[in-house]
Amino acid sequence: MQKAMQTGLIVAIILAILTIVEYVFAVNFDHDTIRFIGLSFAAFGKAALIVYYFMHVYRLWRVEEAH
Amino acid sequence: MAVVAPTETYHAVHDHLKLNRAGLWLFFFSECVLFGLLLSARFFLEGIERGELDQLLGLGITIILLLSSVTAFTAETAIEHDNRKLANWGLIATIALGVLFTGGVAYEWSIAHFHRNEAFGTLFFTMTGIHASHVVSGIGILVLVWVQFLRGRYSSKDHWPLAGAVMYWHFVDVVWVFFYPALYLVK
Amino acid sequence: MHALKSVAGAAGLGMIGFYLGLGFVAVLRAMLGYPDAWGGEINIVGGYVLGVIGWLMGIGMWGTWSREWFGLKTYQRQAPGWQRYFTFNTDHKVIGIQYLVTFVVVFLLAGTIALGMRLELASSGMQFISHSQYNGAMGLHGILMIAVAVASVIGGTGNYAVPLMIGADDMAFPRLNALTFWLIPPVAVALLATPFLGGIETGWTAYPPLSTTTNSSQILFDLAIITFGLTSILGGLNFLITIIFMRAPGMTWGRLPIFVWSMFVTSWLALLYTQGFAVALLMIMLDRVAGMAFFNAEAGGDPLLYQHVFWFYSHPAVYIMVIPGFGIALEVISHFSRKPLFAYRYAVGAFLGILGLSGVVWAHHMFTSGMPNYLHGPFLVATELISIPTGLVFLSALGTIWMGKLWLQTPMLFAMAVIFNFACGGVTGIFLADVPTDIHLHDTYFVVAHFHYTIVGGEIFALFAGIYYWFPKMTGRMYNETLAKLHFWWMFIGFNLTFFTMHLPGVKGMNRRVADFPESLDNLNMLVSISGWLLGLSFLVFIYNMINAWIRGPVAESNPWRARTLEWQVSSPPPHENFPEQPVIKGHPYDYGVPGSVHGVFPNAIASAPAAGTAGGGQ
Ligand code: HEM
Ligand SMILES: [Cu+2]
Repeated sequence: MQKAMQTGLIVAIILAILTIVEYVFAVNFDHDTIRFIGLSFAAFGKAALIVYYFMHVYRLWRVEEAH
Repeated sequence: MAVVAPTETYHAVHDHLKLNRAGLWLFFFSECVLFGLLLSARFFLEGIERGELDQLLGLGITIILLLSSVTAFTAETAIEHDNRKLANWGLIATIALGVLFTGGVAYEWSIAHFHRNEAFGTLFFTMTGIHASHVVSGIGILVLVWVQFLRGRYSSKDHWPLAGAVMYWHFVDVVWVFFYPALYLVK
Repeated sequence: MHALKSVAGAAGLGMIGFYLGLGFVAVLRAMLGYPDAWGGEINIVGGYVLGVIGWLMGIGMWGTWSREWFGLKTYQRQAPGWQRYFTFNTDHKVIGIQYLVTFVVVFLLAGTIALGMRLELASSGMQFISHSQYNGAMGLHGILMIAVAVASVIGGTGNYAVPLMIGADDMAFPRLNALTFWLIPPVAVALLATPFLGGIETGWTAYPPLSTTTNSSQILFDLAIITFGLTSILGGLNFLITIIFMRAPGMTWGRLPIFVWSMFVTSWLALLYTQGFAVALLMIMLDRVAGMAFFNAEAGGDPLLYQHVFWFYSHPAVYIMVIPGFGIALEVISHFSRKPLFAYRYAVGAFLGILGLSGVVWAHHMFTSGMPNYLHGPFLVATELISIPTGLVFLSALGTIWMGKLWLQTPMLFAMAVIFNFACGGVTGIFLADVPTDIHLHDTYFVVAHFHYTIVGGEIFALFAGIYYWFPKMTGRMYNETLAKLHFWWMFIGFNLTFFTMHLPGVKGMNRRVADFPESLDNLNMLVSISGWLLGLSFLVFIYNMINAWIRGPVAESNPWRARTLEWQVSSPPPHENFPEQPVIKGHPYDYGVPGSVHGVFPNAIASAPAAGTAGGGQ
């Protein structure tokens, strides 16, 4: 339980930091293309983290682990 | 193969958890196309142009939705370990944060500086509206699950409805991960 | 009695829901200070949504499913005999037959509308109906037939045959399966109500700006088709999970019957692309109901957006229609040639190739729409690339027929006609995919002829192959072979006369979707109309044969075609749980004439069961 919660919280903190960085970057950066690419990367990264750690996508192909 | 006397009528056994989970993922794939098309429409019509938006409000509701994902995760992890008290709080917090998010969107709508009969307004209201409708349905599902939870229906062995609702909630969050920068930050 | 109670009760609840929805929206509008609280299209939206919910709950979703959401005990209404077809039944065999019968009826109805249109088109000038009535009839014919093409083979034969063929006891989500069927009646009601609001003047493609300004029947069309898309998506999801997870032991991907493969690929297409149609129509609805500006060029919108989103679904949709048709054709051809399916792996590869390519060719419908010129080349090339996988399907079919012991029963005749007709349809597709020729041919009857060759010739013929092929399994009775062959030849000749001739006025520039045409085309159109009626009348033979055989046809054996796939190894019709015990798969389904080969076995067979022991050895 503790370990699972810990992983989740670490991921959440990374997500929060990414969101803030995304925001600060977008508000202060002035090159359209690079801003767009940067935001896309951030979005895909965040989505991947959620899909893997929160939605447990690996449970689709991994045999059910004991909790 | 062992020869056993066949039973009168045979009943196949299925791993329903596996079927349900995979089915839910396929539903997400399909929804991805829905949201992806809306996103494409946004760039098709307006490029990266956007109307005037309250940036702090946008960041605020984004953080709220992210927090709600954390509490949803907490609820699921807790029930997996039969920690009912934590699961209860996780569910309540998720529902509350979801309501807060919806309220934020509604407020955003009420102070918007553009109208729905212009291109950006059309896109903004449609995208946030369809996303918010998913949030609202997610809240509805979570409330139903919470009621069943209070009646003691779930345990670490058997909690698919809760796990499924939480997955749906995370999915709605993933959609916002793309919609937020596309609407607020690209320009 | 059960049947009547079930359907009438549900319809009553649906009506109540409809009026509640209307009123609810009206109250909201009054509160928000709109002058015409009752007059908006948004009232129809509200009514439709609540109406559908009422209908579903009434038909049995409440008892079978929704009660569970509130922690209540679920129950299922048990209706005896034929009456179970009118309840929320979760047996895939019942649902398959529900789909088939429903869509055959819709097919006949939409066909009758087409005969009416051909009456008007028999000669130039306006004879019987007005331009706008013609448009309404044409739109209704089009969308009903699209619905038939999308749902009849998938929902009907697919639902019936797939679980049996893979050795499963049912679909993965039986209640979801029933839901997909019971969403169809509201769709039908909404579509059939469109003439009362002025008719679908836009045709089935519903292009803006006409669709955002035309009469209110458009809103019913949008709601109906969004619902219909939902059934497609949920059905596809169900098939995918069933095929991935519920195959019998030993049923590896390499041993999957080709029809199941085709359903697998089709289900991916339906799952992923159908959202496009829904989004496109949702945008139209928002433009109409909420005053948005997606397609309002004045306010920064763009009608081309619609065409992109719409064809992003609707091109893959043509493969949703035709791939299960290919599947049935290959399946039947192998069984009736008494030979292993030639190039099985290539045929599977072809389906997967079509799956991959179908998402990148949509703009070949837009060569004259004013999209940027640099897009023409890539979409031309991508479209013609699809001929490669399509060619592989032909390779497989022809290679199987080649030197086979052809058994020319009705299903086989229909299956071979699929190959013939689709060749014509595919060849005309090349002219349409070529930008220079398409600029001339676009929106003429050449296009109409093309897609009737592909859809009717490629899919509806396969649907009939499937109906004749599985009829003894579904009903336990045998149809009259002579009448069936009469139906085949009559339909085949009528079809080719009608639609081959139709290319000619098209090449001469006759516009589609217009009720009138230049006098110089009179003769050709008279010929098309007469052959069209000929084609239409052929279905009388079919109806008579089916009804007659179902009621008093001779009892069918469990395996009249001596086929090897699993569905033929159980009684006709199969027992409720499909198999007396878990079948185990030992070999390829099509190894006809291969010494010692077996497909499915029942390891613990009960001696008295019809499928005792080794099933389906080489013949
Ligand atoms: C062999 C490959 C095929 C090619 C190269 C092809 C090509 C085309 C092209 C370029 C058009 C646009 C014509 C125009 O509007 O100017 C078209 C229209 C159409 N095709 Fe095909 N096609 C093929 C197969 C199919 C199949 C398999 C189906 C259905 C089962 C189909 C159904 C349709 C329909 C319904 C339309 C008209 C849509 C409308 O405007 O209402 N086609 N085809
Ligand atoms: Cu196409």
